[in-house]
Amino acid sequence: MTARRRALELVPLGLVVALSLLGASMASEPAGRLAPARAWCAPSAERLLGCGEAGVDLTSLVCTAELRAVVLAVIVALVGFLVGTPLGAAAALARGRVEQAVARACDLVQAFPTFILALAVLSAVRAPSRVHIGAVFALTAWAPFARLALAQTRVLRSAAFVEAAVALGRGRSGILAHHILPNLLGVVAVQLGSTAAAVVVSEAALGFVGFGPRDGVSLGGVLDQGVVAMLRAPHVLIVGAAAVFAASAALLAAGRAVR
Amino acid sequence: MHRAATEVGRAARLALARTLESLAVVGALASVVFFALRLLPGDPARLVLGDEASEGDLARVRRALHLDEPILVQYARFLRGIASADLGDSFRRPGTPAMARVGEALLPTAQLAGVAVAMGAVAGLAAAVAASGPWLAPRTRVWIERALMAVAAAPLVAVAPVLTWALAARARIVPLPGDPDAGPAGLLFAGALLAFPLGAHVGRIARQALVEVSEAPFLRVATAKGAGPARVWLLHALPVVAGPVVTIVATQLGALLGGAVVIERMFERRGLGTLILEAYASRDLPVLEGAVVAAGLLFVVAQTLGAAIEATLDPRTRAGPS
Repeated sequence: MTARRRALELVPLGLVVALSLLGASMASEPAGRLAPARAWCAPSAERLLGCGEAGVDLTSLVCTAELRAVVLAVIVALVGFLVGTPLGAAAALARGRVEQAVARACDLVQAFPTFILALAVLSAVRAPSRVHIGAVFALTAWAPFARLALAQTRVLRSAAFVEAAVALGRGRSGILAHHILPNLLGVVAVQLGSTAAAVVVSEAALGFVGFGPRDGVSLGGVLDQGVVAMLRAPHVLIVGAAAVFAASAALLAAGRAVR
Repeated sequence: MHRAATEVGRAARLALARTLESLAVVGALASVVFFALRLLPGDPARLVLGDEASEGDLARVRRALHLDEPILVQYARFLRGIASADLGDSFRRPGTPAMARVGEALLPTAQLAGVAVAMGAVAGLAAAVAASGPWLAPRTRVWIERALMAVAAAPLVAVAPVLTWALAARARIVPLPGDPDAGPAGLLFAGALLAFPLGAHVGRIARQALVEVSEAPFLRVATAKGAGPARVWLLHALPVVAGPVVTIVATQLGALLGGAVVIERMFERRGLGTLILEAYASRDLPVLEGAVVAAGLLFVVAQTLGAAIEATLDPRTRAGPS
């Protein structure tokens, strides 16, 4: 892929962020303010995306929620990347039992009912905040990175330059830091986009089933309102779904640009 | 004789390792929910009763939930409770054992997940055969492949409400969410929504496997012996991809359970997902713990089943001298 095409993959994310910033800054009132008189009003020139339950202005609500979701997703993906990559690489260098154990742990965590785990942990706090939600996702976000790093290190560890470093008496941590990790980053970074997109979707799902942040500013909350008012005000559902879709697709595309 | 004995030993070791792993998964989920509720800041008794509760009421709840005992004693009691499937009474419905409510919810969720797996597997395999077989024009096949990729990446939580709106509220061909008379049509539609991403994953993996196998000599032999394309693809090629398909279904099970929570909540269907949400909302700790453990059990049993099916389908994965 040429550098230009790569830069183009970043455009959707840029658009999503710019539009959300614009929508959130244009709002004349804080996101989530209630005004029952205009409940479920359809989109109009004054309120571009219409209103939701109890008259929340969807423009500012969705734009703010979208921004927060994207920021959360990027942070969780980066944490997973920073934890998982060295873990997988170190395991592959250690070989033997450690390598097998980490590989098996990755398999298990990736197939794990993560959403149920998130519900279990979040049920311990009275009103989950975004920090709680991010921490829960980070519990499992490292696995795909570790698995990729492990597979790639298996190839690298028998490369001539690594063997040369071993022959020159370099320790394992030195080899890891100077020879393995720099060669891994490009390959493993591919996962950043799909992990971030998955976080956006899971966050929306949590909000949808009622485990969202207490202030109600979450894409899942908008979708929940939309399902309730499916017959009365279908625009709420369409707006919420489009926002989730845009965020996850933009992050996926941006992930391809990192490669 | 000696060889048969080592074979049995190998199989037994493998089965033991699998069982231990399953126990570890269930145990991990159970421990997470147990310790999260007790060790994270915040008093569970206060979670149950709210901020306004009096000290006497709080003490009574702590005693009822055994929260006044040392944490390790509580943990031992909890593990014993899980092993004997008795976590005490539901806190919100005294007299009803928590496990009875969990058991009631297990069947609808298993049904929903079962319908979704069946539909996803059939639809995915059909799409894969269509996208790699000789029947359609190459351009159409490419489009099927692109559609599979798009659907696999589409978020269920956004797609399901929109499809429901289009099909239930606009076209009125399926029951509306929350319709108590939805019956089998409701189950089938909810299962179909849940099957969407699964079917796309199955389709992608199966197509890849079919393309790889399409040049295999045994298919050319079958064609040379006069078998038509339908016989070659369905009878000879399809069984080969069963292994990868079972594997991908197994890796998607966790996501499927999460999706089931979303779908159950959207359609207001009874099941493990709604039970977890209800127990969370009403702070019914025994039911919450039981439901989470049951979800873990469902996951583990389905995974083990998948591994067993794969082993019967594909002789290469059977435990044996290798």
